Amino acid sequence: MNDKAKTIAVIKNYISKMPSLPIAWSKIQEISKNPKATPADLNQVISLDPVLMGRVMKLINSAYYGLNSQITSLVRAIIMLGVNTVKNLALSTAVLGGLSSKSNFQALNNDGFWRHSLCVGVAAKLIATKRRKDPKQLEEYFVCGLLHDIGKIPLNNKLSAEYVQALSLTDKEHLPLYITEERTMDVNHCEVGRLIVNNWNLGPAMEDVVFFHHFFDSYPGENRDVLLTVAAANYFANSFQIGFSGDRYPEPLPAAVYEELKITRDDFDEVESKVNGEIEKAKIFLQVARQ
Amino acid sequence: MAIRVTFWGVRGSIPTPGPTTVKYGGNTACLELRFGAEERLIIIDAGSGIRELGGAILAKDLKRGPIDTKIFLTHTHWDHIMGFPFFTPIYIKNTKLEVFGPVSYEEDSLDSVVGGQLQYKYFPVTVGQLEADIHYSRLRETEMDLDGGVKVTTKYLNHPITVLGYKFEYQGKVFCTAYDHEPFSNIFDVSPDNPSYNEEAVREGALAAKEENDKVEAFFSGADLLVHDSQYTQKEYMKDKKGWGHSSFEWAIVSANRARVKHLVLFHHEPMRSDDELEKVYCDLIKKLKVKKVTMKVSLAQEGTSIEV
Repeated sequence: MNDKAKTIAVIKNYISKMPSLPIAWSKIQEISKNPKATPADLNQVISLDPVLMGRVMKLINSAYYGLNSQITSLVRAIIMLGVNTVKNLALSTAVLGGLSSKSNFQALNNDGFWRHSLCVGVAAKLIATKRRKDPKQLEEYFVCGLLHDIGKIPLNNKLSAEYVQALSLTDKEHLPLYITEERTMDVNHCEVGRLIVNNWNLGPAMEDVVFFHHFFDSYPGENRDVLLTVAAANYFANSFQIGFSGDRYPEPLPAAVYEELKITRDDFDEVESKVNGEIEKAKIFLQVARQ
Repeated sequence: MAIRVTFWGVRGSIPTPGPTTVKYGGNTACLELRFGAEERLIIIDAGSGIRELGGAILAKDLKRGPIDTKIFLTHTHWDHIMGFPFFTPIYIKNTKLEVFGPVSYEEDSLDSVVGGQLQYKYFPVTVGQLEADIHYSRLRETEMDLDGGVKVTTKYLNHPITVLGYKFEYQGKVFCTAYDHEPFSNIFDVSPDNPSYNEEAVREGALAAKEENDKVEAFFSGADLLVHDSQYTQKEYMKDKKGWGHSSFEWAIVSANRARVKHLVLFHHEPMRSDDELEKVYCDLIKKLKVKKVTMKVSLAQEGTSIEV
């Protein structure tokens, strides 16, 4: 087994029991204990955690249910699975450890990663809304944005030392993170993300967004609109430095993408204030339990 | 007669023996199905009612040869499997039993969930000591040809754990179960003042709930006989029983009537409801149906009675 194959094997093993972000954990517990909490609360908290979102979507699309069509809406998944099952699933998902211990040092911290993921989800949805996409598709834009960097979780947590190296290399050489990931670990977060999407059976649109969001020039498939929207939202999040996902030196968004999406850089200014408002709202929602 | 259904347990949640439940019965879910002149046996659910069914099978079927049958479990909540260790045929050599049913997403095997009741800490006989040849098969939404002209189709229902409704078809007759089941509802339709209010979720939730309810009604559409969950009155349901996984009498009637069911049997009676109370609810409903000129036949499931189609 060569080094890359070994790395992939380690990552695959991690994916099978991937923990969720601690940011949502106390809220999930509060919702489960509080008889006045509504399914809308459950929907909201799950939609704020990429791993929980992925796990619920994995379950509804799994061979276990054997449904004929791909379910991409969390609302629909909760109605079909039932609140009790979704709560049980969320409570039984392990949680990523905190960052307080030095032995547990990681390149990306949970809060920064969470803010970045949520920012890209919200921004992708706002751009899609601005472009008058079908309201029924908006949630898919959000979910694809929320999960686009999911591949970084196993790298950050399972290959922590190498990931710290990858991040310092981006600082030293002003390179995008996916390139320094390849240099230090032989794989990038897009490849790892695709392993997760396939393992969770999240469908072709999600797979394409996760795998091609840094390689959209060469993308041949039919999910181009959502892919480019998420790529634009990702560039926005990185360049406006909302949250932190390790990409201090992202490749600029090509002019052709602005043209194809019919957006301008000025649109990002409008998106910025709304995104910040949404993130603060989410933060307040999630912290209720701790007050 | 194509299919005869005999009710050995009709009570929901927990057995309720006692003077107030003598007429309709206190045993939990168990239905005996007999197909055609050969009276081929198939069982649905192994609630406490299966104990007496076991005795009846020994008296009737054993003299014709070893018992060879199938049990279809709607789900693995305790009231639907608790009678299994007391089903006498499992202790008899040459009995052949196939147990079908859904398992929860945690993927514990049906074998461990149902057969697991027979272990030292719960019961004096352990699985390894059983004489019968028992096979367990997990079911999803599917169609199966059971030979001899019997076909079964399954459908996911709405309950706090995975539940299957069953549709048996034989000689042109259709018998269905829809319990334990609560109508899908738009659980996201909270007040706009609620901090979690989300307009898109409200819209998507309404659509999803309607589509899922339509699928359930399509499943039992035109059935000759439907056994439907009716644990609560609509008033009880709306007060504080939403999300508990059971239907109201009113919903069962509206839904079955819309699906042009010929005979609806109200089932899974609330353990707290006495015979008198049950009959009062039923009489009030029947009066309303007469006013509305509903022609669908509606009965209360009663332990020890049979219905033929």
